[in-house]
Amino acid sequence: MARPYPRTVSNTWWLKRWPYRIFMLRELSAVFVAAYVVLLLVLVTKVHDGAAAFEDYLDFLQSPLLIAFHIVALLFVILHTVTWFQAVPKGLPLRRGEERVPPALMIGASYVGWLAVSAVVAAVFLL
Amino acid sequence: MTNAVAADGTITLEVSRYRPEQDERPTFQRHEVPYRQDWVVLDALNYLKDYVDGTLSYRWSCRMGICGSCGMMVNGVPKLTCAVFLRDYLPGPIRIEPLANFPVERDLVIVLDDFMEKLQAIKPWIIRDDERPLEEGEYLQTPEQRASFEQYSMCINCMLCYSACPVYQSEETFVGPAALALAQRYNLDSRDQGNHERNELIWADEGIWDCTFVGECSTVCPKHVDPAGAIQQAKVESTIGWFQSFVTPFGRKSAKE
Repeated sequence: MARPYPRTVSNTWWLKRWPYRIFMLRELSAVFVAAYVVLLLVLVTKVHDGAAAFEDYLDFLQSPLLIAFHIVALLFVILHTVTWFQAVPKGLPLRRGEERVPPALMIGASYVGWLAVSAVVAAVFLL
Repeated sequence: MTNAVAADGTITLEVSRYRPEQDERPTFQRHEVPYRQDWVVLDALNYLKDYVDGTLSYRWSCRMGICGSCGMMVNGVPKLTCAVFLRDYLPGPIRIEPLANFPVERDLVIVLDDFMEKLQAIKPWIIRDDERPLEEGEYLQTPEQRASFEQYSMCINCMLCYSACPVYQSEETFVGPAALALAQRYNLDSRDQGNHERNELIWADEGIWDCTFVGECSTVCPKHVDPAGAIQQAKVESTIGWFQSFVTPFGRKSAKE
């Protein structure tokens, strides 16, 4: 007698295993990245509004709550970056003849590129 | 009980049972089975069936990771039960359930019709616009051309990837990892000319664009097919095809060069 039993899913399926938890955190990271971008855009408008507005905004940013937000946002951005670089060889399988370029090499090159761009940005703003 | 095996102690299995003629829902049965260092989970199930309870139902065939029949959830993770050892789960218990995301036919046997339909829908065979007569010989390709799709041709249709996929879990219409990887396998084949027949389905929402790139399909794949990679690459091709459709609106999308 065939009476297939349908499978049900609990709303907490993503809490059950680490790969799913990391996936949900990765998706959630977009919210924190977006919130950080909003704060950054407001900063640009404050620069436009003049020195006093800019100083007020800096004070506002230094409230304990916002410092805590920035720490959390930084952790999420790091997670976002690491998972993004890990995805590079998945979406872009480079080949040398019959051989595939080793994924580790592509991920490593991504980090090197990231460091190089960061160095250029740091040089432009700090020097 | 027999002394058919020389055991080093025992290990507990918690096996999901569902007998539609008597059970409302699946339940777990606990059994002590002999523990042997060289036994895989499938060996323990075979012991149960042979010596303890002959009514236990499950699929298996080759015992060597080729037939793709013996996929089950082992402690919540989709595995080929012929490829995971009891010793990997010490001290136990080991919980064995039918593959997740598929209806249960009986005990550890799932209903796989949905997968079979999706597999056919992506036309996993070589399609030619211009079929060459036999006397002209086979369609040749270079080792390099072969290497471009070889990884995706290793799929054994074991469906572990569907069990690991949260998208398939919530979207019944999602074509799913193995079928999309196989579609990529034929789309990348230099002998094939069927991209335009496959891509309508593959490039649709229920094709690659439902995928949120969880990546677990590739992690659980016993043949290292990397369906997640195949899907992301197809997304790149689909995006290029979408832009190309503006440049050449009447041209065929994504013909192979």
